[in-house]
Amino acid sequence: MGKIPSGFRRAATQSTLLKNNVSSSPHQPIPPLKTYQNSPKKKPIKDNASITNKSTSPIIFDSPKLSDAKSLFNSLVTTSKNTPSDPRFYNSILESFSSVSSLQDSIFFLNHMIKKHPPFSPDRSTYHILLVQSCRAPDDPSLSNVQQALNLMTTHGFPPNQVSTDIAVRSLCACGRVEHSIELIKELSAKNCPPDTYTYNFLVRHLVKNGSLSTVNFFIKDMREGFNIKPDLVTYTIMIDNVCNSKNLREATRLLGVLREEGYKPDCYVYNTIMKGYCMLSQGGEVLGVYKKMQEEGVKPDLVTYNTLIYGLSKSGRVKDAKKFLEVMAEMGHFADAVTYTSLMNGMCREGDALGALALLEKMEMKGCKPNSCTYNTLLHGLCKSRLLEKAIELYGEMKKGDIKLETGSYGTFLRALCRNGRVAYAYEVFDYAVESKSLTDVTAYSTLESTLKWLKKAREQGLIVSPE
Amino acid sequence: MFPQGMKKAVMDNPKKLANLIDLVNLPSTLREFMGQSQSSRLGCFKRVWLYIKENNLQDPNNQNVVNCDEKLKRILLGKSQVELVELPMLIKLHFPKAPK
Repeated sequence: MGKIPSGFRRAATQSTLLKNNVSSSPHQPIPPLKTYQNSPKKKPIKDNASITNKSTSPIIFDSPKLSDAKSLFNSLVTTSKNTPSDPRFYNSILESFSSVSSLQDSIFFLNHMIKKHPPFSPDRSTYHILLVQSCRAPDDPSLSNVQQALNLMTTHGFPPNQVSTDIAVRSLCACGRVEHSIELIKELSAKNCPPDTYTYNFLVRHLVKNGSLSTVNFFIKDMREGFNIKPDLVTYTIMIDNVCNSKNLREATRLLGVLREEGYKPDCYVYNTIMKGYCMLSQGGEVLGVYKKMQEEGVKPDLVTYNTLIYGLSKSGRVKDAKKFLEVMAEMGHFADAVTYTSLMNGMCREGDALGALALLEKMEMKGCKPNSCTYNTLLHGLCKSRLLEKAIELYGEMKKGDIKLETGSYGTFLRALCRNGRVAYAYEVFDYAVESKSLTDVTAYSTLESTLKWLKKAREQGLIVSPE
Repeated sequence: MFPQGMKKAVMDNPKKLANLIDLVNLPSTLREFMGQSQSSRLGCFKRVWLYIKENNLQDPNNQNVVNCDEKLKRILLGKSQVELVELPMLIKLHFPKAPK
């Protein structure tokens, strides 16, 4: 069980980086239009979103034909007496049409709307709708459509700003046009519209996730040399996290050096990321060293730090040390959460102390901390491994009551334990639950059951397991 | 213990996966039981197991054993009793490997 529990992974990566994003640049005001930046991200559910959230899309277009759209719009403005003057009303109409039409038709339609209904004056977001659309075509071989949309903005008095850059980059990345977004960001930087730190870091994060390390390094180098845009602490955190995930310790160490050279002082998030890196590299014991370093540098640990510490120590078999930190973190005013307890239980189960882990479950519930599916699965696995089948069955009953899903690993371990003890019918019941609760796909659930039964038959034939009858 | 990777092996191996989920033309005996002419091995297993549960065919003294009724007997080699352990294997008999 070398994997990081999913709950932990979430806590350690996303929330860290998100928080980091905010905390490391507190002086930079968020541009007011920035909220809009989420919208291109949600592209796939755009249709629903514009109907439910923005409330007012009065026309739902299902035909990409321009003439249909025009006549629909005409009938809307001529029949209803009090059409709102809010541009958002018309933007949602345009947005709805743009989701089914081509860019050219959307532009024609916008012109038609302005001509037919003078009270509507397009604003920046109107043109951003077109910009998003121009970025959306995944097979577009060039940026010409995007450039057309940007030129359109300029000629209508809304020259692209940082929000436009952000929207375009996110939209391009969302449909896999990573190369184009790099090209665009350079082009816009040359035109006095450089990306802000959010856009920059978004692209870096996207690149490290989907591209190669060298692409990122080239991008950072080009931006630094061409436009004097430098990576910040968040950028380095993202990159360190990524190279640690791909177990590239050497690059992580190099980045740490670069970070110091640039005059940045590692913060709590950087240290957390390094700790997590060691855990990924199965060198959980090293976390203590990082923790000491943090204390030397006067960096205050947070909940994620303690969770990572406890996870790393548990994983490397130093449960005793891990338990100590449960007290330390309480003294520091951090409440242990499900991740903390689960990591500790994992360590205890590894040591064969499944009963101790079970007792810890009671303790955490008493303290008002709700166990999650990872907690239950860890325990189920541990109890089965320690051959405490009755306890495992009891726990499984609890899981069923709480609609807790089974994970592939603990499901397999549980099935084997049941079969070993001649409880084949019960194993079938667990199979049913795994399928009903949608814990696993039918295929996974069945093939595990099938191979377990095959294994049981073989073991019986070899006399390794005595059948109960 | 079988190796940990085994669970994943089926998902990763397209041939094995196809063997499990591809629809095939059923032999006449099975066609009668299933009430349809095509099914996958997985679908067939699930149907038989459901049939056992719905008709309470598990032996009350030993849940691991199924007392076959006439309908079930016909598809499970005519056995009057089968163990749940062998059920997947017995069903597999109706799904011979596709000739190359």
